[in-house]
Amino acid sequence: MTFRQIFIRKIVYLGIIAVLLLPLFWLGQPATVGARGVSGGPGGLLAQLRTEYGLSEAELGEIDPTSEAMRLATLGLRGVAANILWKQADTHKMKKDWTSLSATLEQLVKLEPHFISVWRFQAWNLSYNVSAEFDDYRKRYDWVIRGIEFLKKGIRYNEFEPKLVWDTGWFIAQKIGRADEWKQFRRLFRDDDDFHATRPKELRDNWLVGKEWFQRGEQMVDQGAVLRGISPLLFYSDRPMCQMNYSEYLERDGIFGERAKRSWVRALEEWLEFGNREFPTSGDEVIRLNDREALDRQVAEAAARLDELAPGLREKIRQEKLRRLTPEERIALETLPQERTVEQQMQAFQAEAKITVSHREVAQRISGPNRQEALRLADEAEKAMEKSERIVQQRTIVNFEYWRMRAQFEQTPQALEARELIYLGDEAFRNSDLIRAKEYYDKGLAKWRELLDLPEFPQLVKDGSTGRELLDIIRNYQRILDARDEPWPQPFILQDVIDLHKDRHPDFQVPQ
Amino acid sequence: MVIEKVLPPFWTWFVQAALVWVALIVVVCVFGLLLASFVLTVERGFKRAAVSIGRAIVEAFTDLIGAISFRRISGLVFLAIKESIRRRVLAVFALFILLLLFAGWYIDPASTNPSVLYLNFVLSSTGYLIILLALFLSCYSLPNDIRNRTIQTVVTKPVRISEIVFGRVAGFALVGTVLLLLMCGVSYLFVISGLSHTHTLSSENLSAMTDPQGIVEGYTGFTSTVHGHKHRVYVDPDGKARVEMRHGHVHRLEVSGIPPDAKYSLGPAEEALLARVVVYGDLQFRDRDGVDTKEGLNVGDEWTYRGYIQGGSPAAFIWTFAGITPRRFPDGLPLELNLGVFRTHKGNIEKGVLGSIAVRNPRTGLTVETEIFESKEFALNQGVSTNQFFIPRLITKASSVQIIQRKRIGPQGVELDPPSETLDHQLAKKQEFDLFEDLTDNGKLEIWIRCLEPGQYFGAAKPDLYLRARDGYFALNLLKGFLGIWLQMTIVLAYGVMLSTFLSAPVALIATLGVMIGGLFRDFMTQLAFGQTWGGGPFESFYRLITQENVMTQLEPGLGTTLLKMADVGARGFLYAAANVLPPLGEFGWSNFVAYGFDIPGEVVLIRLLQTVAIVLPVCVAGYFFLKAREVAE
Repeated sequence: MTFRQIFIRKIVYLGIIAVLLLPLFWLGQPATVGARGVSGGPGGLLAQLRTEYGLSEAELGEIDPTSEAMRLATLGLRGVAANILWKQADTHKMKKDWTSLSATLEQLVKLEPHFISVWRFQAWNLSYNVSAEFDDYRKRYDWVIRGIEFLKKGIRYNEFEPKLVWDTGWFIAQKIGRADEWKQFRRLFRDDDDFHATRPKELRDNWLVGKEWFQRGEQMVDQGAVLRGISPLLFYSDRPMCQMNYSEYLERDGIFGERAKRSWVRALEEWLEFGNREFPTSGDEVIRLNDREALDRQVAEAAARLDELAPGLREKIRQEKLRRLTPEERIALETLPQERTVEQQMQAFQAEAKITVSHREVAQRISGPNRQEALRLADEAEKAMEKSERIVQQRTIVNFEYWRMRAQFEQTPQALEARELIYLGDEAFRNSDLIRAKEYYDKGLAKWRELLDLPEFPQLVKDGSTGRELLDIIRNYQRILDARDEPWPQPFILQDVIDLHKDRHPDFQVPQ
Repeated sequence: MVIEKVLPPFWTWFVQAALVWVALIVVVCVFGLLLASFVLTVERGFKRAAVSIGRAIVEAFTDLIGAISFRRISGLVFLAIKESIRRRVLAVFALFILLLLFAGWYIDPASTNPSVLYLNFVLSSTGYLIILLALFLSCYSLPNDIRNRTIQTVVTKPVRISEIVFGRVAGFALVGTVLLLLMCGVSYLFVISGLSHTHTLSSENLSAMTDPQGIVEGYTGFTSTVHGHKHRVYVDPDGKARVEMRHGHVHRLEVSGIPPDAKYSLGPAEEALLARVVVYGDLQFRDRDGVDTKEGLNVGDEWTYRGYIQGGSPAAFIWTFAGITPRRFPDGLPLELNLGVFRTHKGNIEKGVLGSIAVRNPRTGLTVETEIFESKEFALNQGVSTNQFFIPRLITKASSVQIIQRKRIGPQGVELDPPSETLDHQLAKKQEFDLFEDLTDNGKLEIWIRCLEPGQYFGAAKPDLYLRARDGYFALNLLKGFLGIWLQMTIVLAYGVMLSTFLSAPVALIATLGVMIGGLFRDFMTQLAFGQTWGGGPFESFYRLITQENVMTQLEPGLGTTLLKMADVGARGFLYAAANVLPPLGEFGWSNFVAYGFDIPGEVVLIRLLQTVAIVLPVCVAGYFFLKAREVAE
């Protein structure tokens, strides 16, 4: 190849490069800021898309020159580098090399500061997995806090990501409050001046601090941040649940009386406030958890008015349906539920569905001038019923009714006293003071009896969670009696609780 | 500190390594001779080929041994240095300084063990830079000279081909040495300044510690937070102060006045940069039935480095130390222990798991339990003080004294050591024990660690317990760390020069890089060679890969499988040879020793030094033959 040919080829290459750069320049032109009343330009297509989707670095969060330098230094191999670091972090964790693990994670997030999963996964890794590797609970606490600090750092880089804020609240509330070593963790959290800085000691409760973070997350979403990957129902339930847990843990820490009562009152207020929040459902419908009772009343009223239009019709239809059942289904239905065979249970279930009379069926059998009104009422009742069922489904997810009842009964004087007496009984038992322990327990169980007999809470004695808790208390009472070599009292004051719940807890030994 | 690959004692290693080395040299020579004979016979006919080969061998002896001149080599070394300077090798040093300037952006001084980060950074960045430099210098030098024909000005002088090869390697090595020394000095200053800090403490930070009667026993509190940490301090009413280790260091606390209203001043960080000279023992495990085993229990860890023993049972870790003499340890044995703890139940969360430490005479079986301790887990990794013990020369307090026989399962059944008929139970009735007279046999002594709590487990590996003989100089240890890099550099230089004698510069660069990367997989190749991997040898693995066959399933018996297995047997010999020819560069990195504050043992340095010589010499000789075979050199 002659020199001339080489030269021409170079010129051609340069020309092609220049031509290819033109569209790139047009696409990547940066936006400009206007000055002195002149509006700035929107920039190229990429700049416009960045603005539209809020993807520019400055809009995501803090800009870190170190991170930027590192990303540039990888020359487009950022993904590869991040993968290598991720693998290294796994190896360091496996080999329990915690110093290197921390350093690797620091590098990893500098490479991928806006990759939310990196922050979430590795923060979980630090707070839940790495912390569990240590034998000393103080070290475990240190690593839980490291995970939380890691998340807080992630929030600085991603100021509009509610999931990171929610995770921070969750770690502070649940990891510190629900760990096996929750007593030690809560104590260390209270004494952690570095973490809390200027926060007063009395507010250094993990549930309250967690609640603050959940609240911050809620505010972000309310101001327009997009919530991805978390159900809004669960997202908004965590703040009021923190208040519930705070109230519960106050009593576990031995704080009762007015302070505990105030906390439960607030917990109820916040729970009802949560119940008033609107949540979208799959059918473009908006529901509020508090609406169920009103909807049920609406259904009952519509049904009553429908029945008034054609008295006895509903029962007549039901009898007709009953007659259409097969003999086996009828036998299954007539057999007591606890005596049904497996096959009969299925048959009874199907039979129940077959003999149910819908409001629409009643309305359609009405003729004459009332027909239109009947159809309207049936429609109203059916719609309200559907909505109510949807609310029931959502309520089940967050155990709405239990927590509402719990916040209500916990603020009664009977509950407050019962809790305090059982607490004192446990303390006395721990200190081997069996006489006082029994005294406190006797009084405490009597208070529980009063509470269960209150007409405001007829469902309390049947409630599974309360039943489980009471069986634990009864088990402890049995231990105290065993230690004192005393017989089991006959009749026992909470015998109905044992009878109702013993079958659901096979490990519970019925006292004799 | 974790040492996954423990080197055998020097002489054991030397005999084994020398045999393999000699065998490999013979194999390579024979192979080379056969190849040369074949090529020359095809080219020139058998007779002329035989003459040429004979002449080449005679000349090689003259060039390599007989007539080699150190004065001429010095001249060529000087040329290589001049060439290096002309090619601006000092830019590497400038790049290193630039890296250090920005290192503060990436190194977190608030880490639990910042010295580890700082030292790992300086050692690894130096290593990468120097090896890259060696790669480029060595691979581009000779090919450029040959291309530009400047080699003619050298070969026309009365120098030998061997001197050209040795001169290049030595010249570049000298340049690298100077650079490494400069980098070492700068690294030292960088680490010292990066870790330097102090804290403040005032009386407001202290609170009184009282006994149940309310009498003040002392004061405790925290220093100010600097570099993301603070230290707990304890001050006695008489002014004696103790500062807890955090982030791998402590500070000296001076108290002037009467506590708590005294003036407190903390000194600079101490013990962050150590060079512990330690003595390791051999570890054996004793299972819960009291029988010796080679391995401990696995508590579910993916990483099987540490073996575990069951608490509340006869299970124990048994470290056997040799060379324990009054001259080396006149006052007693200073021990440090790094333990893993695994709980099967919560136990007492507030407390560590209890363990015991005992010393046993391997001949008499006399076992004296000197201390009951509370475990501190992974202390070394977290920058807090380790479980430290001191076994005094005269043991006057013992929590238990007994004669213990070790049980081993041999071909004849259970063997007891010492045998029952030689036991002297009177030994256990003494009140005081002399470490060297009663518990050491011919310099040998056993340290037993047991976990005392049922349901809990202790985990350890061989390097987790050691005798801290003394502390060496950190600066010297850092220099040894850089020596490791120097050895790596020399090996790369030798390979680079050798490959560039017959390959063009870019190809030589890729080939040298390939050799370096291949060296990283040396262990894997050895495992393949010995059939220790799942999925068979290279041919079987390839077949499994393309047919997506699981490594655990048996291949269908038949001719194909037999052929694959036979091919693998043939490949194993080649793999074993290749694994031994490839330089194990990764094993020359001693950054862990320096970073975790352990003196690099002289034995390790000697072994790696010999390994380097054993690699560099034959590689240079090969380079000589390749260059000699090139027309241009002739």
